[in-house]
Amino acid sequence: MSGASEKALKTRIRSMRSTRQITKAMEMVAASKLHGAQQRAIASRPYFETLYGVMQDLSLRRADLPSPYTQTREGDKVCCIVIAGDRGLAGGYNGNVLKLAYAEMENKASLVLPIGKKAAEFFRSRKIPSLTDRYDEAGAIEVGDCFTIARLLCDEYRSGKFDRLLLAYTNFASVLVQTPAVLPLLPLTRETSNGAATAAVLYEPDSESVFDAIVPEYLGGVLYGALCESVASEQAARRTAMDSATKNADEMIDRLSLQYNRARQGAITQEITEIVAGAES
Amino acid sequence: MKTFPLQIVKPTGVSFEGEAESLVVRTVGGDVGILAGHTDYVTPLGMGTARITAEGQTRYAACIGGLLCVSGGSVKLVATSFEWEDEIDIPRANASAERARSVLDDKEHHTEAELALAEARLKRALVRTGVRHF
Repeated sequence: MSGASEKALKTRIRSMRSTRQITKAMEMVAASKLHGAQQRAIASRPYFETLYGVMQDLSLRRADLPSPYTQTREGDKVCCIVIAGDRGLAGGYNGNVLKLAYAEMENKASLVLPIGKKAAEFFRSRKIPSLTDRYDEAGAIEVGDCFTIARLLCDEYRSGKFDRLLLAYTNFASVLVQTPAVLPLLPLTRETSNGAATAAVLYEPDSESVFDAIVPEYLGGVLYGALCESVASEQAARRTAMDSATKNADEMIDRLSLQYNRARQGAITQEITEIVAGAES
Repeated sequence: MKTFPLQIVKPTGVSFEGEAESLVVRTVGGDVGILAGHTDYVTPLGMGTARITAEGQTRYAACIGGLLCVSGGSVKLVATSFEWEDEIDIPRANASAERARSVLDDKEHHTEAELALAEARLKRALVRTGVRHF
């Protein structure tokens, strides 16, 4: 009996060790990828902030600007860009952002543009039609792709395929904190003008075409920024998750080793008792 | 020479930040030169060579897409792609141009979207390989 449980414990310890090896390796891979992703996210911030500033400035100065991008429409058809990861085992990273995005889209006529394999799978299984499946690998997307996506979205928006555009992504607050967020992109809402900032600005060729040229640029920039944040978040989440998995495995190995040693000792004690009893009789 | 604060940003980082003497950049309407004291001005950018003079030194770059914004005397160049002359990967641009040309030569076997993409790619490659000094 004790021999059998010893063997079972030994097998469990061995399997736990190999699991620990995997989680440890994944943690280290995530940590090294996190470094690069974090740098990229930080490098993309000034571009996005400047673009956003110019955009706000422009819409403040010309609050009466007639543009298809600023008018609120009657319809309620939502298109949501959802950025999630390509792989699981990243703690709550995929689940959190997908849940948040789904809450926005549930019970509405909606479209999705999934970025990342997990997002594509999630919405396919819930039968939400997707605008395009070309970008279901988040790791492979570069700056150029973001601008291609932005132009596609602008065309579709102007053709009336959807009335609102949302972006669901994960904000990289720090290595330990990542918060999922939904950002409304279109129609553009402008902070109300206080009547100030009406200095004459020279627009070339004219304010309307400047505005319409900037919008796709702006969307592309936002998309790239969100993608950088999300990728950094994914690596950070995976690192944290794998770190705690490794710690759990360590704990479990300790506990099982203790049990195993007790069982082994018990068996030896029993054997000695049997021998002594045999010699005495 | 009088200077103005110039900031050049692109999605992958900041290319220039500091005082500049002059900036010439290709906009959608042609080359535009900016000196200190320019009026407030916003325009989308085209594709072409940009010339930046700062601290007496003139540098050239390939600048593609984005916008130029002058506001209160400070200039912001928000580019989709901005590469200093010495950062440009010429072999890569040449290879890209070659690939794009082979697509454009074979019009029957490609969709319109593919042809448009190839044309855009060729244009970008030509801007990168054709940075001229002026």
